[in-house]
This record gives sequence, C-alpha cells and structure tokens, in this order.
Amino acid sequence: MENLGAISILLALCLSLYAVLGSIIGKWKKRPLLVLSAERAVYTIWFLLTAASALLVYALITGDFRLSYVAGHSNRAMPLVYKFAAWWGGMEGSLLLWCWILSSYSAVVVFTNRRRFRDMMPYVTAILMSVQFFFLFLISFPESPFQVLAVGRGITEVPDGNGLNPLLQYWTMAIHPPMLYLGYVGFVVPFAFAMGSLLTRQPGDAWIHTTRKWTIVTWGFQTTGVLLGAGWAYAVLGWGGYWGWDPVENASLLPWITATAFLHSVMMQEKKGMMKVWNMVLISTTFFLCIFGTFLTRSGIVGSVHAFAQSPIGKYFVAFLAVGIALTVYLILDRLEYLKSESRLESVVSRESSFLFNNLILLASCFAVLWGTIFPVISEAVTGEKISVDAPFYNRVNVPIGLFLLFLTGVGPLIAWRRSSVESLKRAFLIPGVAGLVTIAVLIAAGVRHFYALISFGLCVFVTATILIEFWKGARAIAAKSARNLVAAAVELTHRNTRRYGGYIVHMGMVFLFIGFTGAAFNKDATTEVRIGDKFPIGRYELKIRDLLDGDNDNYTWRRAVIDIYNGGSQIGTLEPEQRLYKASRQPTSEVAIRRRLNEDLYLNFAGVTQDGRNMAIIQSYVFPLVSWIWVGFATLLLGTGICLVPPKVKMQYARTEVVGYVEKPVQAPK
Amino acid sequence: MWKSLSRRLSKLVVALVATLCLAQTSSELRSPNVRRVGDQLACLCGSCKNTVATCQMLGCHYSGPAREKILTMVSAGSTDDAIIKDFVKREGRRALAAPPAEGFHLLSWVMPFVALGIGLWAIYLYIKRFRRPAPAPVKADSALLERYHEDIERDLAKLD
Repeated sequence: MENLGAISILLALCLSLYAVLGSIIGKWKKRPLLVLSAERAVYTIWFLLTAASALLVYALITGDFRLSYVAGHSNRAMPLVYKFAAWWGGMEGSLLLWCWILSSYSAVVVFTNRRRFRDMMPYVTAILMSVQFFFLFLISFPESPFQVLAVGRGITEVPDGNGLNPLLQYWTMAIHPPMLYLGYVGFVVPFAFAMGSLLTRQPGDAWIHTTRKWTIVTWGFQTTGVLLGAGWAYAVLGWGGYWGWDPVENASLLPWITATAFLHSVMMQEKKGMMKVWNMVLISTTFFLCIFGTFLTRSGIVGSVHAFAQSPIGKYFVAFLAVGIALTVYLILDRLEYLKSESRLESVVSRESSFLFNNLILLASCFAVLWGTIFPVISEAVTGEKISVDAPFYNRVNVPIGLFLLFLTGVGPLIAWRRSSVESLKRAFLIPGVAGLVTIAVLIAAGVRHFYALISFGLCVFVTATILIEFWKGARAIAAKSARNLVAAAVELTHRNTRRYGGYIVHMGMVFLFIGFTGAAFNKDATTEVRIGDKFPIGRYELKIRDLLDGDNDNYTWRRAVIDIYNGGSQIGTLEPEQRLYKASRQPTSEVAIRRRLNEDLYLNFAGVTQDGRNMAIIQSYVFPLVSWIWVGFATLLLGTGICLVPPKVKMQYARTEVVGYVEKPVQAPK
Repeated sequence: MWKSLSRRLSKLVVALVATLCLAQTSSELRSPNVRRVGDQLACLCGSCKNTVATCQMLGCHYSGPAREKILTMVSAGSTDDAIIKDFVKREGRRALAAPPAEGFHLLSWVMPFVALGIGLWAIYLYIKRFRRPAPAPVKADSALLERYHEDIERDLAKLD
C-alpha cells in the first residue's frame, strides 16, 4: 500500500512538471492539443492525489503502524473522526492535504474555464501547476507521508501508535486546519489569473471579474479557519484566551488582512479603473504571505506551540519564495504600461479616498503583525540577543490601528463616490456621530473608565448606525414604491445589490467581533482550592463544589468536578469541567465547562487536586464579558459573505461616469 | 565557626523565604501589584506567548515561580524597575514582554509607524498625481439631457 501511495505522488509530481511545460510550450508554439493535454494532466493529478490521500486515510483508520506517519499520529483507541483528522495532524499528512486541495481547485479552474480565456488559461495552468510541483516535491522526497518504519532492510511495525496530540482531539480542530488550508490554497487561483493577465498583456479587469467569487469564497474559508482556531484555543487551552499573537496564529492572519484590503480595492478597479498596479501587488502579497505562513509553521524558524516539528524543508520554501517574488516583481514592473489608471481622483473627500485609507490602515496592521513576528529572528541575527515580542507589543501597536479601521468601516459608506460636499457629510454623520458620542457619555456615567473600551464601544455604535441607516434609507424607498413592509423591503434591497448589502452585513460582523474583543478589558479570574461542599465567589456568581467524579475509557482517564452555580442565592445551572489523561501520550488536558451567554461567559477549568494530602480541588474560574459576540460576529461574517455570493437581482453595470454638465432647474424623475 | 554561622544563617533565610512562600495565597499572587509588574515580563515557559501576569497554566514552571518572586520583592519594598532589572539580569532582555525601546530594539516600535508614514506619503503622492481638479461647470445642452432621461427611464423600467 505504501508503494502505491508513494508512486501516486511521484507520478503526480512528474505530471505537474509536464503540465507546466506543456502549457507554456503549447502556448508559445501555438499547439492547442499540447495545451489540452496539459489540462488533462491536471485532472489526472487530482485522481492520483485523491488515491494517495485515500490510502493514507485508510492506513490511519485501520492502524497500519508500519507507516511512520500512522505510528506517529494515530492509535487504536482514537475515535474514528480523529483518526481521519490525523490526516492533517502532522507535517507530511498536512502537506498532502495542501496538495490535494490545490489539485482539486486546479481541476475546478481548468474545467470551468475549458471554453473561456483560452489565451490566458495556459499560463494560469502553468502557475497553478508550478505551485503544485513545489509542494509535491516536498511530499515526494523530504517529507513523504508513506515512509515506513524500517530496521535495516526489513519493514517493522509498532503494536500501537502515539495517537494524535490530545489538544487536537476537539471538534473545531477537526475542521479548523482544512478550512485554513482551503483559504491558504485558494488564494493561489486569483494570483494565477492575475499573473496570467499580466503575461498575456491584458489591460482590462477580466481576471478580477473571473476570480471575484473565488476570492470571496477563499476569504470566507480563511475567516472560518482563523476564527475556528480562536474558538479552539478558547475552549481547549484552559485559560480562555482566543488569540495569543503566536507566530503561527499571526501567519494565518497576515494573508487574511491583505486579502481584505484586496477585496476593497478591487472595487476601485471595477468601478473606476483605478489602482490596477496596487491590486496586482495586493493579490501577489496575499499569495506569498500564504506560502510564508506555511513556511513559518513548518521550518522551525520561530518557536510556536502550534508549529510542526522542526524540518529541513525551510530552505526549499526560502528558495521558492525568493524565485516567486523576484519573477512577480519583474512581471509587474515589465507590464506597468498595461496597468495604467483609467480615471482620476476627483476629490480627497470621496469613497475612493476612503478606500485608499482603508488599504493603508490594513497594510499598516499587516506590517505591524509581520514585523512583530519576525523581529525576534532579526534581533537575534543582528545583536545576537534573544528577545520576546509578546501580546503587549501587538496590543499597543494594533489596538489603535484596529480602532481607526473600525472608524473607517463606518465612514466609508457615508461618503459618496467621486466627491462629497461638506453639507452632505454633515447630514450623513450627524445621527451616527451623535449615537457614538451618547454611547461614550452613557458608559462614562456608568463608571467605565477604560479609554480604548470607551472608544471601541462608541465606534461600534457609530458603525452600526451607519449600516442601519443605509438599510433603512434603501428599504424605505422600496417599501414606499411597492407597498411592502420594511423587513420585506430590506430583503428585496439586499437581493437587488447583494454585494453592497452583503458587504454591510460583513461590516456588522466586524462590529460584533470588536464588541467581543473589547469585553476582554473587563475580564475577571480567580484560582481557588476547595473541598466538596465549599462555596466561592467569582463576579456575580457563587460556585459550590457538589462532587468529584472519575472514570476511564479506551482513550483516556478522566476526573470531573460537578459545580453548582448560584446567582443571587438561587441555583442557575451546573457545570462539569473535566481533566483528562490520554493513555497513549500520557498527556493531560483540560475540558473546560462554559456557561455561554451574550452578556458574559462563566468559564471553569478543573485544574486538578492538590498533591499535599489535603485533597482539595483546584478550580480556575473566569468571567469573560461579551466574548460570545465574537462567535456571533463570526456567524454574521459568514452570512454576509454568503449573501455577497448570491447573484444580484439587478445586474449592476459599473459605468465609469463623469460630470458632463449641469442643469439650472432640478430634474424631475421621469414618470 | 564562621562556616557554621553562615550555614545557620542560610537555613534561616531559606526558612523565612519558605514561610513567605507558604503565606502567599493565590489571591496575593494575582494582586494588582503582581499584575502590574508581571504584565511587563514575558512568560518563558516556551509554550505560550503570555506575560507572567496573564499566563494561566497551572503548574507553569516559569510564571508561577516568577509571580512568587515578584510578590516577595514587592513585599520587601522593591520598586517595579528594580524587579524588572532583576529578571533581566537573570534571563537577559528576553524576560521583557515587549522589546525595550532603546538601541536596535527601538526599531521594533518605530518601524510600524514608519511604514504607516510611508503609506501616508504614498497616498499623498497618489492623490497629487491622480487628482483632477473639478471641471468648470458647463451647462448641459438639452439633447444630451434628453438622452440621459431616456437612459434613466430605461433603467428604472428594468428595476420595476
């Protein structure tokens, strides 16, 4: 079986090289059959990698412990779902998943464009397959998932495997990595179309129209991956943190930030034919940051609790990044004349300008995160001294940047395209501005003194007001015209321009996320040693240990604290935090218990029993205000992203308009 | 005799420190004083990116003893600076949660804002280059207006 798997990967490697060469030579020599055969190679690669992946999953599920990967990441006692998840639980398997997702995307791209963009497609195929070749090379030679355990020339087998890291045996962890990879890998497609457009010297926006939905879907996957990771950290690590500014977490955030900037700035290109070079730079940066993130996770260059084991593949990534970036920079510089702006900026106070500032702030945030992530490496290389760049650095730099971005989220929709007059700005800002300021005043009166929290809540209300006003104005017009109620009119409004109103819903999701983040300013925690029957307070709750239970199953032994929760003297629920010891790895984990509410989460971690003979339970208890809004924000982001993908009822034509004259009397709308 | 005296003195110091440690309840280890200093120090356990104040791992081999040390030094009247200097002396500057704003490490703080400044400058250049002054208002002729009216009517008909 291992031979079949390894041969499938090797064949796929050869075919990816063939697809690169076949596409380019076929295009240059004008041989369409060669181009067609290169495209068929893409389908074959997908079949081969599907077979290799199926073989690895089969080995993981059946416990074929002759394979080094299976012995290292699976065991007999693990539930089936985690045996399957072990596919991406280690370096080699996760690289195979990378390759399989890329081959699937490539097959879809080639199939859906089999009759379109015949000029550009050979280059798109060549770029997709170049990336495929690189990753297939990694799993063919340095990191093969089908490596067998061998003593001399004889294959050996261990009786049972080490099992998947117990921290990864959690439901969100079963879907977080594939979601993140769907995002990481997905950005290869718009990048390939962008480069294809440059190579074929196309002055238009065909590549943007073609990949718009693709980019939005990929962005949605990346968002899901990042936030599921946050959800996993919150529920599994036992201290309630959802974001620790770990280098690997940062690596997943960086391409998300640049992709967000790209999704905004493409609107400038679509509507005004502006920022063409910038969009090329942004999509290329996003792609290379995806590769950089993969490199960071796998090279051991920075220490991280999330990173895979140190591996020699870092040097291959460096070479790939260096060659890729050099070629991309050369191509963009060489094709500058095809990327000339078609319009000009008419006013500094315009939607166009707000997009420029939005991009600047997003990129500044991206740079700050990247800089903080790599600064320890730079510092050690230059001064020879190790330093730490932890949460305080990122919070100090990124909190003001993030709040300014939130402000722009509200300002953007209020400013008209082309130009806004002072009068119209006053009208547009009045209600949201007053709502934001009143919120701050009310919070100060209620005793809130945290500066950033006040600003954040004020801005959240400001942005919410701008979004609601946008919906209300549009819905009211439709309701008046078609005699519908406001809700039905709002649905109709959204359906008419799904991209615009879906985008507003995404903005609303961001507001919810900021509400959740801001709640962290008011967290409370306590670590308490208690006996059965003891009571102790946390926030407005009183907790009572009712019982301590224990037991075991094939996978782990467990010990559980049964804790009754009281509020104002009456019992409002029971939580049962648990401590587990996984048998195969001898690794302890915490299964926290959370009472989730929109105003605050009560979060309990059973940290063990004192070892000094007193036999007291150690309970870490936390109150996290507003944290649930992060998950509400996540759901809202996904809803908005989904709406953006729905075809609009009214086909929008982004005419590049200009003022041709004025009339002396106001024009009556035609009846 | 001196040896014996110094041994007894050492034992006494150890006993005193042990007593102090035992007296340190978990609430004292999370007191505002410990948090204030601990927030400036990195947890060097190797598996988290928290500060000494925020690391919640029970039995963490670094943050737990570090909090005890901070509490002991705060109780003995040491200033925040003295406590932080003591940690830096033992662990090097990696003990700090954020890079010091001096020498080469100043770059870590400056660069994000330099990048922001460069971005603003780039936007200024972009606006300067691509901004077109508003055209002088010209009265639209009636034929042109008529054509636009027709366009608007056609678009509105489609909307309905």
